[in-house]
Amino acid sequence: MHISFRHELGRDPWFITGIGLGLVLLLLAGLGPVFSPYDPHDISFRPLSPPSADHWLGVNDGGMDIFSELLFGMRNTAGFGILAGFTALFLGVAVGLAAAWFGGFTDQIAMRLADVVLAVPSVMILIMAASLFRPSPVMLAVILSIISWPTTAKAIRSQALVVKNRLHIHAARQAGASGIYILARHLLPELFPLYLIGFAAKARMAMFMEASLAFLGLLDPARKSLGIIISFALKYYYMDIWWNWLLPPVILLSLLTMTVTFLVISLEKVFDPRLKEAL
Amino acid sequence: MKLEIDNLTVTYRNNGHNLLALDRIDLTLERGRITALVGESGSGKTTLGRTLMGLLPDNSESSGCIKLDENEILGLDEEGLNEIRWSKVAMVFQNQAANFNPAHRIIDQVAEPLIQRRNMKKDDARQSAGDALKRMGLLNHQAIRFPHELSGGEIQRSMLAMALIMEPELLILDEPTSALDAMTKAFVADVIDKVRQRGSSVLLITHDLDLAQKLSDDIAVLYLGRIMETMPAGELFLNPMHPYTLALGRSYPGVQVLRDLGGIRGEAFYRITHQHPQTGEKAMFHNHIIGPGSFHEDRHVPPAGCLFQPRCTQADGDCLLKNVSMINVGDHQVRCLRGGIVNRIELKGVSKRYGQVVALDCTNLDLRAGEVFCVVGETGSGKSTLAMIASGVLLPDSGLRFFDSIDMDEWRKKDYKSLAGRIGVVYQNPSQSVSHRLSVLDIVAEPLRIQGIGGDRKETFERVKKALADVRLPSEQEFLRRYPHELNLGAIQRVCIARALISEPSLLVADEPTSFLDPSVQAKVLKLLMELQTEKGLTMIFVTHDIGLARKIADRVGVMLAGKMVEIGPSSLVLGSPLHPYTSLLIKSAGGNGGGMVQMNAEPAKGGCSFAPRCTLADRACFWQLPPQVCLDGSYHSAACFRPQVTDNECFMENKPCLSGAAPACCN
Repeated sequence: MHISFRHELGRDPWFITGIGLGLVLLLLAGLGPVFSPYDPHDISFRPLSPPSADHWLGVNDGGMDIFSELLFGMRNTAGFGILAGFTALFLGVAVGLAAAWFGGFTDQIAMRLADVVLAVPSVMILIMAASLFRPSPVMLAVILSIISWPTTAKAIRSQALVVKNRLHIHAARQAGASGIYILARHLLPELFPLYLIGFAAKARMAMFMEASLAFLGLLDPARKSLGIIISFALKYYYMDIWWNWLLPPVILLSLLTMTVTFLVISLEKVFDPRLKEAL
Repeated sequence: MKLEIDNLTVTYRNNGHNLLALDRIDLTLERGRITALVGESGSGKTTLGRTLMGLLPDNSESSGCIKLDENEILGLDEEGLNEIRWSKVAMVFQNQAANFNPAHRIIDQVAEPLIQRRNMKKDDARQSAGDALKRMGLLNHQAIRFPHELSGGEIQRSMLAMALIMEPELLILDEPTSALDAMTKAFVADVIDKVRQRGSSVLLITHDLDLAQKLSDDIAVLYLGRIMETMPAGELFLNPMHPYTLALGRSYPGVQVLRDLGGIRGEAFYRITHQHPQTGEKAMFHNHIIGPGSFHEDRHVPPAGCLFQPRCTQADGDCLLKNVSMINVGDHQVRCLRGGIVNRIELKGVSKRYGQVVALDCTNLDLRAGEVFCVVGETGSGKSTLAMIASGVLLPDSGLRFFDSIDMDEWRKKDYKSLAGRIGVVYQNPSQSVSHRLSVLDIVAEPLRIQGIGGDRKETFERVKKALADVRLPSEQEFLRRYPHELNLGAIQRVCIARALISEPSLLVADEPTSFLDPSVQAKVLKLLMELQTEKGLTMIFVTHDIGLARKIADRVGVMLAGKMVEIGPSSLVLGSPLHPYTSLLIKSAGGNGGGMVQMNAEPAKGGCSFAPRCTLADRACFWQLPPQVCLDGSYHSAACFRPQVTDNECFMENKPCLSGAAPACCN
């Protein structure tokens, strides 16, 4: 029951931690340009200077303020994750609902397509796409969502099949409801928990993926990203400045993924009773 | 002796607002036949009897004619009347004790007509009276008692003896059995039957429909002074053609009737005739029914429409406006604009498959307006499929469906929403049949919103409140805002019933609506459903596996087996004396004892009767041939079986096309 869901979430420590962290990080990312003391592309500082009152996390080898870099990098990484998550969710819901609603041939096609896409290793595709076509980050997010929708679609489809055959939908149909009415008023709202879970899982994956690609140097090195920062920091690993240059982006990236993981765990726990017993 | 009543109208004068007791009655009493006159109190039954005897009070006016063997007797003076009274026409009055003089012995009073009319000697007359009383089972020592010393039954029999002592050619009996116990009633019935055999005609005025059906040859149904239907007596319960007759039969606790009393919705009032207060050309005499809503602003309504229209289950616009005349339907005469009870839903050869599974195999079903039809059978026999096809939501693979004689599938294509509004459905599992995300208000209002007939928010709100009040649920704001998980199952099921009825449907399909409820809640929900059925005049299809429940609510029962309807008929016949062995087994098993005949995994016979492998009566033919239709009781009870359990072979008709029922010839 939806009311007790809200209640239950409010008492779940996973959820509280996740949402707390998430709010802080989102605030940092969203208001990064306001907080950041310097322009991250400004190279006018003394390279490799240690942390000081002026530069909280020091300056990198190119003479840029690391703290400012971090804020902008996180903004890009999180933005990439959110965009990819939304697109993947949209695709997954569209395909999954269509498969469940029309059934039969449509269902067969959609699900076999999902199997095919699932079988393809997504990292490889991304690396290839990024290195061959040099797409913009937005394009890359879309490509990522194109190869990551199947799990969402499958979850949506199976749940939609269950809900579709519920008596109350039967009753609405008997009362003369059109397909659009049933979709909009009964089916879509009923699947709400799945959207949360699907979105969070995909966003987490996308953020990590973006960092990895940037780390591998497959993205524009001038674009600030947690992966890029880590990648450059690693080059000066021997200089004993890892704690102010390498550690912060790693921690931030971990926190980002942890936030989303916590949220997913708590949402699944509350909305999916089978998982509740397993955890 | 033949009595012809032609255009007889009787009014009682009452200060310009005259009570119309009988309105243009046409009735013929044939020699040697018993005609029963039935109807509610106030329908004018007794007035008719008294008119025939010339016993109307002074404030009455009568017109028309009554001919006794071609002699007009209406309006005869006292002398003329005295000639026919007792000798030709005798009447047994209601409230018998009051009709005897308490100061004289019974035997003297019985002898009185002989002395008065035949000028017999007192002793001879007393002798004859004693004999007559003896024939009525009253001994000599009882015959010499005073009226107050006799019991009601004895008084009744004395009254009969007195009426019969002159061997009248026409006997009018006004409620002859209303105060009698069953034994005495049977005795009196025998006496009346003997009178018939002697060649007299009998007019039997009674509330007792069982007696009317058993004893009489013809039945005339009187409503507010008009004859609504005349029919052969045997069809009273089996095949009433007028909605009023159906409802009347349902209100009577007959010994054969299994279902709970239904009653007739609304109330019968009385009719008055009066003159318009206006003078000049507007002045006119007219009559109308007194009752709520029967006036327009000057409190007068001109006479129009069917008298029964406000209480009828199938009335439409015409019934309110057009005048109704008697029409012949079969051997009935019905005063109904729609030609008697109409078929609300007709299924013709509908079938449905799910892959290899035949859920419904070419089934015919006609449901009459205002009827409660129960579908019983084991699981997987196609009960729910049948109900869902009838409700319009499920498409049959083949066959035709008609709702109010309109092709449902075409209607569905053209304007599904208006069809959906005519049919309400209540489902098996209450908690699943409502969305847990919607409040009570949204749940109940949903059909209105879908069909776009709710009007504005306020009107929708009012209709929801009314619908909830109808199902006896609170309709306060607080309740409307509640969610299903805050209600118990019984309340949710009521919400579902409110939802099903909010678009004011004429057909209600209930698919095991109480199987998820515990007995006490089930009882409440069922009572409510049956009340609503009567009140709203709903036609109901009730799917259940519970034979006990079907007994309580059904007018007719259909028994399903492996997608076929193998037996169909009035519930009293199907459940009381089943034809098909499968039905007997169902009834037996419902009592928890299948008699060792219950097998769950029998391989169905290919091409033959599906029950054959489990049937103890089955022979070779049962396995290989489709069973024939057998019909009983004027073909209102039929079954598809080679070995029907019929005791009386004479009323057995083989292969006669039945009204509606099992596997018809159209399906192979």
